[in-house]
Parts: sequence; C-alpha cells; structure tokens
Amino acid sequence: MESNSAWIIIHRMRIPILVIIITFAISIIGLMLIPGRDANGNVYHFSFFDAFYFVSYMATTIGFGEIPYEFTYPQRLWVNFTIFLTVIGWFYGIGNIVALVQDKKLARELAVARFRNKIKKITEPFIIVLGYNNVTREIINRLNSEGIRIVVVDKDETKIEQIELENYIPEVPAISADTTKPATLKIAGIHQKNCKAVVVLFEDDIKNAKIALMCKLLNKRVDVIVKSTTKENTEHLRNIGIRHIEDPFKIISDRLYFEITAPYIWLLEMWIFGHILRIRKREFLPKSKYIICGYGRMGHALASALERAGIEYVSIDIKSSDYKKKKQSAIYGDAEDIKMLMDAGIKDASCIIAATKDDMINLTIISTAKKLNPSIYTIARENSLEDISIFKSARVDKVYILERILAKYTYNFIANPLANKFIRLIHKKDNVWAMNLVGQLSATIGQNPDHFEITLDEEHAYALWHELQNGQTITLEVLKRSRHNWQKRNKILFLLYEYEDENGRQTILLPPDTLEIKPGAKLLIACDEESRIDFEYIISNYYELYYVRTGEELTPGILGYLNFKPAKAS
Amino acid sequence: MNFQKVISGFFFILAMTTNFGFFYGDPSNIDYHSSWELFAAIVVNLIATILKLGDKTQLGSVLLATSLVADIQLIGAASVWALAVYVLGGLNLESTVVIISMSGGALLANIVSVLLFIGDTLKSKR
Repeated sequence: MESNSAWIIIHRMRIPILVIIITFAISIIGLMLIPGRDANGNVYHFSFFDAFYFVSYMATTIGFGEIPYEFTYPQRLWVNFTIFLTVIGWFYGIGNIVALVQDKKLARELAVARFRNKIKKITEPFIIVLGYNNVTREIINRLNSEGIRIVVVDKDETKIEQIELENYIPEVPAISADTTKPATLKIAGIHQKNCKAVVVLFEDDIKNAKIALMCKLLNKRVDVIVKSTTKENTEHLRNIGIRHIEDPFKIISDRLYFEITAPYIWLLEMWIFGHILRIRKREFLPKSKYIICGYGRMGHALASALERAGIEYVSIDIKSSDYKKKKQSAIYGDAEDIKMLMDAGIKDASCIIAATKDDMINLTIISTAKKLNPSIYTIARENSLEDISIFKSARVDKVYILERILAKYTYNFIANPLANKFIRLIHKKDNVWAMNLVGQLSATIGQNPDHFEITLDEEHAYALWHELQNGQTITLEVLKRSRHNWQKRNKILFLLYEYEDENGRQTILLPPDTLEIKPGAKLLIACDEESRIDFEYIISNYYELYYVRTGEELTPGILGYLNFKPAKAS
Repeated sequence: MNFQKVISGFFFILAMTTNFGFFYGDPSNIDYHSSWELFAAIVVNLIATILKLGDKTQLGSVLLATSLVADIQLIGAASVWALAVYVLGGLNLESTVVIISMSGGALLANIVSVLLFIGDTLKSKR
C-alpha cells in the first residue's frame, strides 16, 4: 500500500471494527445461552448460525422479527440489552466513516494521491511552475494554448481553486503545498524523466535562489528558470549551474539601450515578441536630455542604459513609500514637486521616465511633466497588470510592465528556445546589419511576417527526415520552393539553423541557401501563413518533397512500373 | 513493560490457543470439537487481525497476512458447518473432516504469527 490515504482509513477504523466484533460476540453468546421454547413448548437453544443471523439484522436495525420461534421473556430481556449494545456499536462505526469523509488530513492525502497520479500519467515533457500570480498566469495561459503540459504548485489554496476553475485544456494539475520544501518538488514530479524545466519567479530573490539550488540538487538535468534582480545573487546562481536567470531590470536596461542606439535590433527583438515589423513614429526615442524620476533598482537600470548609450540624464530620487508618508497622498505635482522638476531642467529635457514603484505617482509625474513641457516624450513603469487600461488612456508614449516582460521572456525560453537564441545573437550585431535584415524580411515576406521554429525529425518532418537518412543531400534552398510551381519561391526566410552532434552544437545565424540540411536540425523560420502551410507540407509529404526537388511527379506503385506519366500539374 | 505489547501478545496467543483447543481431538468425530470453541477462535482471531492493522513495517504486513489466512480458514470451517447442518441435512464424515482440517490450517497460520511476534519481541532492545 503506497498511498497514505489507505493507511489513514485503516488506522481510524480499527477501534470501530473492534467495538462491532466484541458487541456481536457478546450478543451471540447471550442468545445461545438463554433457552427458548419452540411452537410446541419444547426447550431449544439458538444455534450459532441462528444467533449470528438474528444479531446481524438486529444490529443493523433491519429487524425481521423474532425467528425461528417467538422469544420467551428472558430472551427478550437479553435482546433488549443487546439492541442498545450493538446498535450503538454500529452507529459509532458509521459515524466514524462519515467523520473520515470530512477529515481534512484524509482529504489532503487523497488530493496528493490524485495529483501524483495525474503527473505520472503525463507522457509528454512538462514544466513545473511554482507560484500562481500575474506573471505565471500569463506564462501558463500562453504555454497551455501551445499544448505544453504544466504542473502548478502554490502555497495558497484559493489560488489552486482558481486554476481548477480556469478549465485549462490540456489539464494543468495543481496542488497547494509549501514550495520551499523538497518533498513538494518531488510530489510535483521533478524526478520524472519528462520534467523539462522548473519556473521560479517569486518576488523574493533569496527564496528564488534557495528553490533553484534545491531543484538542481534534486535533478541535475532539469532547466531552472529563475528570477534574480541583484548582481550578487545572479552570480551565485550561475555558480550552481543555472543557465537561465531572469533579471527584469537588466532586460529593460538592455531594451532601452538598444532602442536608443540601435532601434532596428530593438525592432527585431520586439518582433520576436509579437510587435509588427515596423517602427512606429512615436517609438523613436529622443536622444537629448532625459529625466529619471525614481532612482530605485529600475531607475538604476535605466540610468546605466543611458550611460552606455552616452545620453545626458538627470535623476530625481522619489521613493514611493516615503513620498506617500510625507505628503499623505499619491498625487505628484504640488508646488514643491514642480520646483524640483524645474530644477532638473524639465523645460529643455526631451524625455521623462517615471520609474517609481507606485502606479499613481508614475501617472501623476507624467501628467505634471506634460503640463510643464507639452512636447516631452514620456516613459512610465507600470507595476501591476490590473491598471493597464488607465495607462493606455493616459497617453503615455511608452509603458514598461515588468510582469509582462518577465512573462514573455519566460514563455519564449520554454516554447521558442531558438527565438531566444536569435535575440541573444542579434544583440551582438549592429544597427545596419539589423536594418538590412528588416529590409530583407519585409521585401520577401511583407509588412507583417510571422515566425515559428521546427525540429526536422521524424515526427515533424517525416518525408525530409527519411530522405536525409537515406543519404540524399537536400539544401535549404529546396525548402524555399513553392509547392505550386517548383521554380518559384515561397515567402520564407531562414533566421537560425542549429545542429547538434557529438562534435558539439553548431548554430548559424541567417544560414545560406546552399547549406546542406542534417537530419534532426532545428530551424527558426520567418514566413507568412500560406508559406508556413506549404513548408510543412513539403517536409512531411514524400510526393510534395519529390516534386519540389525534381519538378516531376512521383508515380507510386503499379503505375510507376508501367511508366505511366500523368499530366504535369500546372 | 509495554502495555500495548501485552494486549496484542495476549490476543495473538489466545487466538492460537483457542484455535488449538478446537482442533485437538479425533478429526472424524465432531463430538470432540465444541462449536463454542470455534466461535471463540473466530472472535479472538478477528480481534487479533484488527490489532495487527495499521502497522506499516515489513513484519507488520506478514503478521497481518497470517491473521487473514487464519480468519478465512476459520470462517470457512464455520460456513461448512452451517451449510452441512442446515442445507445438506446433517454432518457426515466428509464435512467433519473438512471442518477440522480447515481449523488445522488456521492453527498453522496462527503458529507462524506467534513465532514471528515472539521473534520480533526478542530482537527488540527495549
């Protein structure tokens, strides 16, 4: 017996069963000892069978009457006594069973057992998400819609109930448990072979580091995605072998840096995250003086980006909690504040960044700044996803939402590892290179290209994989051809090619058309919807692949032997 | 002295001795075997079974298994008796021998159970 629930039941039922056995035994012995009289007045004694039969139906209050013969008064006296004895014993037992059903400990054990079973039944790779909050909810929603299996653990029972109400398909098993304990991670299936990653994005850096270390110790192969906002902590995490560490402030700092110095690199990165492949007019950042309001972790990160980009800036230290305590309000913009902004040079500044921890203060900073300098460019930090509509209507030029950025990066890392690599590689390129790529993308595919990644293995590229295994050489150029006419090209562009063998991993940014494909390689592809369908047909269907390679139809079976050639498809 | 050990030891050994009391005697003659003793053996065996429930150790599960064997054999013997008397119209030699040999099987299981129990007690340092 593996599960604890069975043990709890057995343990709790021991005394009730003992009581029932003993009361039955006493009643049966009494009935057999007391003489009765049959219809003719002869003395008789209950046999064991009669006594057991009678007591069984009496104790359960079924009551078939006095059989085999009507009882004598001594017998009735005894039966009267045993009714109370056995019925009480029986009810005590039933009461215990009812109490067991409501028992919290048992319910908990049953929930754990159910959760375990669900995870054991998952055959595809899955990801453990610790904590259910705004960030992870968005990650879960995106991953779930891609059909990636997820397991959630959160301390809070009400949050787990929320997940159950969400009706995710495929199902997302969830349980409430202490996420800082190894036992919890074990229950969530960290030892399972198909457990791919653990997502740890709590607010508290120390807690994150602790859990990340624990995950690595429990299972070396598992990827841990962990949030860390300080340098020391990040270093510490790297030392224990964690590859993917997310620092939202560093991400924002890099973004701002590229946005100022190399807007096309920024554009490519944003395009990967779903932006259109065009820089809108108001997205070009000014390059003269900046004012940063709020000089916390976010303020520092932005300041370092500006410094790297060589932009002049002034910072005003506003701590949201201190401000609210001092002024008794979250509305920025009294005479003193205005004077501070004027001193910082708001009139000739080109951009103001409101980066405090309080959304209300950020909004009022922006509106005050706009009053003082109507042409100023505004950037605001938004702290909680709930206020998103307010920021939209406040006409802030650019809004940084930490939670959303974190969610998008994590999703990308899990679902689109190649795109993630692509972003890292383009960060090393320059603006001209990126501008050329953007030009190439919009020239071949159009205004709004899509992107996806695929592994060229048997499952995803049946025909191509088999042909490659048979020793055929196929270049990337072949895969660009149109299914409609093999001499035409689909609207398709290969961004990244990755191949892994014993000699290591080979990653090629913008692979050339002449590259020979290896079976099992991975591709990041930019294309439009129609070309994607074409591409997927070609790599998985023998006839389509044969056609685009040779320009001829492959005639299967007996028709091929007869050398029967059907009319070429136009 | 461990009071729980006293209680469980008492019932384990009583289960064996009552079982033996019923089994002892000419196996072809039901007069040597009291139905009261069979009843006592069944009740005490059931109680011993319940006392063995809930022990998660390896030994606990073997003990429970022996008890379950004894229960099944004794209840089987009682059922054969009731069947012979009320359905087949009286005990004959065959049914008598079956009843006694079943209780003999139960006795073996009980002896194993008591040996294991004693062995465990001797091994214990407290």
